[in-house]
Amino acid sequence: MTLEMKEEIVPAVAATRPLLEVRDMKVHFPFRRGGWFTGESGFVRAVDGISFTLGEGETLGLVGESGCGKSTTAKAILNLTPPTSGEVYIDGHRIDGLTGSAMRPYRRDVQMIFQDPFASLNPRMTVGSTIGEPIKIYRLARGVDRKLEVMRLMELVGLNPRYINRYPHEFSGGQRQRIGIARALAVRPRLILCDEPVSALDVSIQAQVVNLLMDLQQKLGLSYLFIAHDLSVVRHISTRVGVMYLGRIVEMAPAEALYESPQHPYTQALLSAIPVPDPALERTRRRVVLQGEVPSPDKEYPGCPFADRCPIVDDSLCRDHPPMLAGSAHKAACFKADTSSL
Amino acid sequence: MAALSFVVFLSLVALTAPMIVGTRPIVCKYKGEIYFPATYYYWRILGLNTQAYKTEAVFTNDKFRGVYPGNLKKNDPDSWAIWPLVYQDPYRPIEADEWPGQPESPSGIEGAPNKYNLLGTNDDGVDVFAQMVHATQISLLVGFVSMGIAALIGVIVGALAGFYGGWIDVILSRVIEVVMCLPTLILILAVRSILDDITIWHLMVLIGATGWTGIARLTRAEFMKIREIEYVSAARSLGAGQMRLMFVHILRNALAPILVPISFGIASAILTEGALSFLGFGAPPPNPSWGTLLSEGRTRIQTMWWLVVYPGMAIFSTVLAYNLIGEGVQEATDPRTRETS
Repeated sequence: MTLEMKEEIVPAVAATRPLLEVRDMKVHFPFRRGGWFTGESGFVRAVDGISFTLGEGETLGLVGESGCGKSTTAKAILNLTPPTSGEVYIDGHRIDGLTGSAMRPYRRDVQMIFQDPFASLNPRMTVGSTIGEPIKIYRLARGVDRKLEVMRLMELVGLNPRYINRYPHEFSGGQRQRIGIARALAVRPRLILCDEPVSALDVSIQAQVVNLLMDLQQKLGLSYLFIAHDLSVVRHISTRVGVMYLGRIVEMAPAEALYESPQHPYTQALLSAIPVPDPALERTRRRVVLQGEVPSPDKEYPGCPFADRCPIVDDSLCRDHPPMLAGSAHKAACFKADTSSL
Repeated sequence: MAALSFVVFLSLVALTAPMIVGTRPIVCKYKGEIYFPATYYYWRILGLNTQAYKTEAVFTNDKFRGVYPGNLKKNDPDSWAIWPLVYQDPYRPIEADEWPGQPESPSGIEGAPNKYNLLGTNDDGVDVFAQMVHATQISLLVGFVSMGIAALIGVIVGALAGFYGGWIDVILSRVIEVVMCLPTLILILAVRSILDDITIWHLMVLIGATGWTGIARLTRAEFMKIREIEYVSAARSLGAGQMRLMFVHILRNALAPILVPISFGIASAILTEGALSFLGFGAPPPNPSWGTLLSEGRTRIQTMWWLVVYPGMAIFSTVLAYNLIGEGVQEATDPRTRETS
């Protein structure tokens, strides 16, 4: 079944022009511990060489544990956290390292929705001026036109335009996230980076917001880079999913294929941790429980960074960095990955 | 609220001081022309004495010698005038019958508060009430101008240091520390020994130029805190420029905490001016100042209590009011507390 799925999706993905392309991007943060002479210094490898493409109209999900570099990836694409090395292309234009006015035209194409709906809205700006700010910055409309555009956007995301003069603290979490979405839509972007947009919300509200995002995608032809740690949400919204571990993508596959037949042992462990609502099934399901903690990202690993916790590690094979197995829509960075079904 | 009303009241008193107490008409018609002789006091307080004497040119020519009521009638029987509420002068003692039926101002220990001198007179017979009222102009001027200078420098320095961080922050923080080490009073005394005639403006510039460090440090800390909040990243990702980030997004949210040291600063600027005048280094006499009055009363505290009590109360309540306003402003400008209170 998975094979057939792939057959259908591979050409579709290949045909779409990559709207966003990231090549071997690294984000390293320097640190110092201890005294000036006795201490040690080094780099925290938040993102350690990731590459992916994202086509027009596509949704790429990025999942992984806390601290695996998901959010840093999104911030590095927009140069909010400048990448240490690597290349970022929007529609074929290289944008990494661009700042200020050089970056501006591309910022219009790529917008971002933030994780915390309480921190991502300026508490002293009304909803109207928050959503209207990008319109003001890019001089898209002024005066009454701007107000009408803001009200149209509010309606689009399911907010009552009467609330245009209210302050963010008068709204609930879900409504605030809608304000954030309206702000991102104001400049009519083609790609929206969603940095855990529903993690801070109640489960019932999560569904509303995810459905809103999917509706908007249909109406406006948006592409999403959807970052989350909730695997079920990602499955619901994504066309393709990348699994991150220690700043690298360890597996990348069309959503259904990844969930049906995960290849990388880390992905298998992650998926086996999803609880099943049926108690009888829950008791019988096979769980892969990983030993130990996520290793610190401030060291360099000569071999496979997952080797210490890997249930199927083979010392002779795993001494080198595993490459992403290319040539297929379903890729896994593992020497021992179950490739028989590929 | 009480503090705010008190400051509003003080500001009104300061603005209308020459209409409350003075010896010059607010408006008068003299030889067919309308004059505003009371504006003389405003120029005098600002230290612009040439401008002050210009308002009196015609009266000086007609040998009024600062005494208007009798001279107006004598030189032009058709003249009319609107007078201040109280006929007393903050710069000189008045003589008998300057104002019909009003006696000469007593001086020294005789000058206890009475019907004509509401708060008594000082050693030279100058009315204390007149001086107190006109001195509100000085203290408000000192407070606002010097803190205006300090706030401008402090917010800009603090904003740059906090927003950019790195070596800009290191350099600006050292500058802040150096300025913080300058003792304001001693600096002003030193400048005074260099400059021959020091005016109230020199004092205000010096108080402002040394008093911005607290504001700068608080602004810096607020900027460092707020620049990490997501809405600043959000604005940055929208393509907002650095000026927009600094002043629309960060400063607006940092304003409430910054207003607190500013209003404390107004209080301390008023205190500094009072202290300088008390030491005899403020605006030179006969300019009215609460501090000058206090220092006159210092040696006569057992006999002439009115020289100490009234200006002391004025300084105390003004400083207290500004300190209370600091907190009031903080609550008033925060939309979250506005909602709950």
